Amino acid sequence: MTAAAFLPWLTVAMVLVAAVQIGRRVILWRGGGPAAVDWRAGLTALPRRYLVDVHHVVDRDRSASRMHVPTAGGLVLACGLLVLGLVPAIAASRLYFALVALAFLTMAAGVFLEARRRYPRALPRLSLGRWQRLPVYLGVFALGGFATALLAALGNPLPALSFLTFFAAAAAGLALAGTAATGPMRHALAGAAHLVAHPRPARFEGGRSTDLAPLDLDAAKLGAETPADFGWNRLLGFDACVQCGRCEAACPAFAAGQPLSPKHLVADLAAAAGGGHARPYAGMPYPNQRPTGGAAGLHAAVISPEGLVHPDTLWSCTTCRACVEECPMMIEHVDAIVDLRRFQTLELGAVPSKAEEPLENLRGCDEPNGRRLSERTDFAAGLSLPRIAETGEADVVLWLGQAAFDLRGQRTLKALIRTLHAAGVDFAVLGEEERDCGDLARRLGDEATFQRLAAANIEALSRHRFRRILTADPHALHVIRNEYPALGGSYDVVHHTAFLAELVAAGRLAPAALAGRAVTYHDPCYLGRYNGEVEAPRALLDALGLERREMARSGKRSMCCGGGGGAPSADIPGDTRIPDIRMDQAKTTGARIVAVACPQCTAMLEGVTGERPEVRDVAELVWEALEAGGAAATARAKELEPA
Amino acid sequence: MKTVVLLSDARHAISGRATLSGLEARAISLAAALDPAPRGLHAGGGAEGVSAGLGHGLQGLDVLDLPEGADPVPALAAHLQAALGKNDAPGIVLAGRRGEGGLETGLVPYLLADALGLPILADAVALRQGEAAGTLVVDQAMQKGARRRVTIRLPAVVTVHPLAPPPRPFAYAKMRRGEIRFLPTAEAIGDTAGGGNGSGSGEERPHRARPKLMRTGGTAAGAHNLHVGPEPEEAARLILDYLEANGIRRYGDTRG
Repeated sequence: MTAAAFLPWLTVAMVLVAAVQIGRRVILWRGGGPAAVDWRAGLTALPRRYLVDVHHVVDRDRSASRMHVPTAGGLVLACGLLVLGLVPAIAASRLYFALVALAFLTMAAGVFLEARRRYPRALPRLSLGRWQRLPVYLGVFALGGFATALLAALGNPLPALSFLTFFAAAAAGLALAGTAATGPMRHALAGAAHLVAHPRPARFEGGRSTDLAPLDLDAAKLGAETPADFGWNRLLGFDACVQCGRCEAACPAFAAGQPLSPKHLVADLAAAAGGGHARPYAGMPYPNQRPTGGAAGLHAAVISPEGLVHPDTLWSCTTCRACVEECPMMIEHVDAIVDLRRFQTLELGAVPSKAEEPLENLRGCDEPNGRRLSERTDFAAGLSLPRIAETGEADVVLWLGQAAFDLRGQRTLKALIRTLHAAGVDFAVLGEEERDCGDLARRLGDEATFQRLAAANIEALSRHRFRRILTADPHALHVIRNEYPALGGSYDVVHHTAFLAELVAAGRLAPAALAGRAVTYHDPCYLGRYNGEVEAPRALLDALGLERREMARSGKRSMCCGGGGGAPSADIPGDTRIPDIRMDQAKTTGARIVAVACPQCTAMLEGVTGERPEVRDVAELVWEALEAGGAAATARAKELEPA
Repeated sequence: MKTVVLLSDARHAISGRATLSGLEARAISLAAALDPAPRGLHAGGGAEGVSAGLGHGLQGLDVLDLPEGADPVPALAAHLQAALGKNDAPGIVLAGRRGEGGLETGLVPYLLADALGLPILADAVALRQGEAAGTLVVDQAMQKGARRRVTIRLPAVVTVHPLAPPPRPFAYAKMRRGEIRFLPTAEAIGDTAGGGNGSGSGEERPHRARPKLMRTGGTAAGAHNLHVGPEPEEAARLILDYLEANGIRRYGDTRG
């Protein structure tokens, strides 16, 4: 009897121990709320979701994919082979043990690469503690298994040494299996199960799913108070976290020193679900962490003075989805934050005091700044701005949004309206019938107000005949395009950058070249990440002959301006401001102009003090080019026509 | 201490929709600090607008069904009179100092206090229970930011000033769970027989120009004329000197 003959039994023991541990965790997940899961579709899609979607994200950090492929591949291969070793005929083969040794060697190579990320000094975004010890256990297991299998393949020349290496492998392997429910190895099964039962299956295979799910306002409890209020597959998602910290590195609130780290929050939610014990969190703390009680449990409030998470953490989020975009485990942080916010707002009325004012205005007069809806078109005095109630129908409905009440936003809208006239677009506005789209209310958790506004807007839109909705506000775009359908209104919504790019491509606009100027484009989160539109604004800037320079973070991995999710309303103090950080990034490109495509981004970036590049909306640049090209004269003639 | 908050038929300043008056939202927050289960009382056509009070902290809402344009005072007085006679009588009746977007007379609390025979204290910014049982300590807002602390015996009507602390934020689920009782009234059943009967709050009179109230003697003059415990003779002389110095009375003319 050689030591290697025990290796298959060690695998069986590890699987059994891990199964018991994970079974305990499964009971915990079952404590979560109900969730509709298509198991068959999930299971068939699992290999593709893992090997394509997950790998695509993991591979953005090459050191991670190079480490994980051999480690996980070697581990699964070695254990799979060892289970075959339960057949005595196979276990007698020296070639078989050579294969096992090769698998363990592959794993050991991966573990070595993993250790390089953590020793002598770990990457700052990685968690320490148990995560720092993980490569030690894995390494001992891999090397012990390798040595044992190699000795067996060589004909067992040193039986004593072989037993010694076997015991080392057994100790490390059983230690890993024993912590399969609470330790780092939890990510393996929870991660795979999360991919199968993912709450947003549409986001895989190149799809996109960024809309918030409507809340049933007649439910017994609105929003999430305790971990048990989350759907069970959400709890599964929190447990899948590998604490790699990519979300934290991408989080604008974390960078600005506000007390939010998506990684810490997800770790807290996972710890809260487990309950009862102090959280073994060894990552970076929330910046400027507010003290909390630390009480946890499946049925204990998460956000409370006694709980795990301080409300400021919740309200620091800009809902920019950078964390979701970066997460290799496909965790939906923003959904969790909005669910928690919904409980705070709808059940407790515990919104930050500054955020209550816009919500009160939205409840009272459908407009966050407390402005009269009939004043929305006042800015366009002197421009021909037809109302759809007068024209009866139009090809395009121009959704003005909140920018119409803001002096800076009005400049963008005027440029856009003039451009539309120049191109001869048949468009009209809703006028008084346009209410706020409800984005702010929804991100601040006030689902009741959002649903009321959405219903009123859908009702208003249903009264008129039009083909498309055009808007210069990506927040309105996202809400109307992606979130109104669940409430009964499906529309073809187009952002002004895409619309203008269409017009230029069709030759209906002939902008002159604005050559000799360098511009950098700041992607709005709600256009880029939420809607995947990163090409049209760039095509437009290129068509204007501008020299386009990219910031280090651009496209779908762009950094937020700090203006989303009601964060400016909540106004949680930090060390610095998010737009200052973003403007510094824009400055390093050396461009003299920051092109923007969102009124929120415009407002946030223009709020940066000191010497900085000029902030111009793409629509303003297009109009400037048209004026330079002589289109102005025709447009002015059109303006004088009665509406 | 059982507290009732009067809710008026307010209109939003921008949209003109039925809404909860901001003053009454403040009143609810003050009430919630004294009474774990404050109730709202509204006389009018329905609960639209005022039901938001439940979201700000009211535990229940009584709506006295009244036809459009009817005087709410008799119905409110009758309802409160009945409530005051019971065991569990309300100690404090809170109201805004005036309505918002409606008639805005600001008279309803006074007429109601008159009809109920209760004392009324205006412009509260803070309330707390007095040391003696059945008393209330009220911080009153005065002009120029001054505050006056008054202790009153309950029951009483207290109106709330706009400088009271901002109300608790609105919580939709609390509004949804709050209980609304619709109560019939005599006015809704019988006819109202025109305005101006009974309490007279509906009386209409032609406009009469009123003499302007003038403030005499600034704070600086007052400081000069402070005399503590003077002899009666001396006090009389000082008053006459003051009147003469300010040209209010010229003794020389009448004597001559």
